[in-house]
Amino acid sequence: MNLNFDKQPIDILQALANWGLIFGALLCIGLVIALILSVAINPKKGVSRFFENLGEGLRDLFGMSLKRLGAITNLTIKEAVRRKALLVFVVFAVLFMFGGWFLSNTNNRAELQLSVYVSFVLTAIGWLIFPVALILACWGIPEDIRLRSLHTVVTKPVKRSEIVLGRILGFIGVGTIVVGIMSVLGYVWILRQVPEKVQSRLVARVPVYGSLNFRDREGQDSEAGVNTGDINPYRSYIEGASKARAKWSFEGLSPSVLQTDPDSGEAALLVENSFQAFRTHKGVIDEVLHGQYTLINPETNLRVQLPQFPIYEFRQNLTWIPQKLAYYNEDTKKTETKDLFDDLVSDGKLMVEARCVDVGQFLGMARPDLFLRLPDRPFASSFFKSVFGIWLMMVLIVVLGVTASTFVKGPVATILLFTLILVGTGFNQFMDDVLSGEVRGAGLVESGIRILNHGNPIVEKPESLEESMAVQNVDQVFTGMLWGVSHIIPNFNMFSFKAYTASGFDVPMKVAVLPALLMVIGFFIPCLMLGYFSLKLRELEAK
Amino acid sequence: MSENAVIEIRNLTKIYRDFWGRPKVRAVNSLSLDVKPGEVFGLLGPNGSGKTTTIKMLLGLLFPSEGEIRILGKPATDVSKNEYIGYLPEESYLYRFLNAEETLDFYGRLFDMTTAERKQRTDELIKMVGLDKARRRQLKEYSKGMTRRIGLAQALINNPKLVLLDEPTSGLDPIGTREMKDLIIKLKEEGKTVVMCSHLLADVQDVCDRIAILYNGELKQLGKVDELLASQDKTQIVSSLLSDEAVNEIKAVITKHNGTVEEVTNPTTSLEELFLQTVAESQARPGQRFVAESEKAANTTTVD
Repeated sequence: MNLNFDKQPIDILQALANWGLIFGALLCIGLVIALILSVAINPKKGVSRFFENLGEGLRDLFGMSLKRLGAITNLTIKEAVRRKALLVFVVFAVLFMFGGWFLSNTNNRAELQLSVYVSFVLTAIGWLIFPVALILACWGIPEDIRLRSLHTVVTKPVKRSEIVLGRILGFIGVGTIVVGIMSVLGYVWILRQVPEKVQSRLVARVPVYGSLNFRDREGQDSEAGVNTGDINPYRSYIEGASKARAKWSFEGLSPSVLQTDPDSGEAALLVENSFQAFRTHKGVIDEVLHGQYTLINPETNLRVQLPQFPIYEFRQNLTWIPQKLAYYNEDTKKTETKDLFDDLVSDGKLMVEARCVDVGQFLGMARPDLFLRLPDRPFASSFFKSVFGIWLMMVLIVVLGVTASTFVKGPVATILLFTLILVGTGFNQFMDDVLSGEVRGAGLVESGIRILNHGNPIVEKPESLEESMAVQNVDQVFTGMLWGVSHIIPNFNMFSFKAYTASGFDVPMKVAVLPALLMVIGFFIPCLMLGYFSLKLRELEAK
Repeated sequence: MSENAVIEIRNLTKIYRDFWGRPKVRAVNSLSLDVKPGEVFGLLGPNGSGKTTTIKMLLGLLFPSEGEIRILGKPATDVSKNEYIGYLPEESYLYRFLNAEETLDFYGRLFDMTTAERKQRTDELIKMVGLDKARRRQLKEYSKGMTRRIGLAQALINNPKLVLLDEPTSGLDPIGTREMKDLIIKLKEEGKTVVMCSHLLADVQDVCDRIAILYNGELKQLGKVDELLASQDKTQIVSSLLSDEAVNEIKAVITKHNGTVEEVTNPTTSLEELFLQTVAESQARPGQRFVAESEKAANTTTVD
């Protein structure tokens, strides 16, 4: 089993630059609109009031009292608990009492069943915390305003920033209690439900991925291998018994990647692959395909060919490569011994070349299909990182919900946030694909003209369109707006780490956890500011 | 603006607008007044006269359309002024899932009070408002009178310099009303400034030093209660144990000095006084009950 996606580590500087650009642009737009409104409402004192409010806002945002924050946070938790928000545990208990009936014997393969259990628990926690966080966050402040209990708070020396942040922290506290208890119960449930024979598979594999390049059947470098007709171009194929190769380049390797080979007891490098076969003939019945690795020093070009190995599809194919490698040198016609780190790894770099041995058969591979394995971590490490992802999603829902609830009433805030989640879950990837050009099509205005003219994206542009720079320019503006929107709407898929845990992988920090964490922080700061100013500049008594 | 006024209001106007920004109602119109330190000031007026709107603008819950407000020398929107203000809203909009102790502890924390201070102040106030036996009950179980009492306690948690009371006696029984009025006087004796708005004129008359009467958002009267109520052309003499002869002699003296005797009666007590006296006597002599005249006659006949 393997992941069917290929995520790249986050580029923190690039992410920060993007965030700064969007945040700065929105901040500038907001300030200009506020200044215009301030002058329009009060032409004489508008400008001075604008700067007074701005200064006061900065003081309020940076000068919050921890005691008052604690009081509002504590009040929020008490409110949620006494209003029976924790009844969600009843639903959780029912799910887990009877879930086992439907999940057991879903598949005869025990390792797949493990994945089902893990997915079930993580999905259940995610789906149960989602409505709790949504409703609590969207209804807290509006109800406080409706019942006027907020009047007795704002008439104390409480800053509006403390109200917004206190509410956010309180709801996060409630969510943390719910997620914490459910995850511990879920973890225990998994340990008890998983069949004994696959208990040993409850680990978190730690992969080290490289970058992938191909060589075609002529031995020339190419970006991809052969497409065997699969509509999903995720895997590329290399032809057996030809010069076609797949080359993984690893960087930053050190002897710490070595483990002890359980058979020989020696230090060795563990390589795992999950190649897929594409057969052009049935070959030998009951025989699997074979592959072969060659280790290459990218500096000296020293090549060490390893023995052939069988490839079992949909299984973990493990190869232990001993640190002291004995191999047959084709040039010297002698068996020689090389040290993996002294001779093959230069500056932490190593190349692993894979080939398909069988004539007329193909092996399919994607970047994550081959990786070096570091010593496994406990299953709990991966499981609780996935729970952390759910927790981050809950935090973001709370932050967005509380912010929305400072300027609209509860039902509207709920619908607004629900829409945001829907778009952020289902359409974010689509927007990214449109922007990156993966989805073919024209801009908004050009598409409109083509629809009116009964054209389609394949039809050549009418001459009038080619010449019309105005259309192109307007479409550029819309594309820019789409870029902004795609960055403003959070991608909620980023918080789902369960594919890693269910596949038996540890959740990678730089690829999964860090981007999700940064996204929450990235939304938290502007949301807090927006919520504060929204609550400060509105008349709480106004209907 | 006046140097030593606790509240200074100048040309205060509040216009409620509709969604499109068109003026809907002018709730307060060019109101100007000062409240001095240590006085009990009453805002009077019929429903819709702008009393509560004015109080809410003082607290920053509503923003003035025009004019200026300064409380304790600070603008109404400055939250730091709230350090010295206590506010009892018209209804006690408290968190109904908290009990009395938790309520006061929560509001105490909003003033950055230490745990020891909060505990001490909570005990004092709960005893003061007579909720000692109900201190652990959630507010949703409280009667309206009890809710007003805990509302008052939260308004005083910070030992404020200025207390704003919106309809302080509404929902209280006569004993509670009297206690509330006694408390307002006690606050004044402690040197605090109290601003209350009410349409219960007797309550205002009993406790306020100065009043402002609003009508349709405009200030119609402003001054000391005694001065506003005093009839300069009339004289009242109250005496006890006067015989009819003495009364006739006094009438003759008045006539001799060209005065007119308009009315000679025995003064009646107020209903509030009668109620309080009855309750006090009932507590002193439990078991005694009122016997109607007809019942008395029937009992006498039976004994005979």
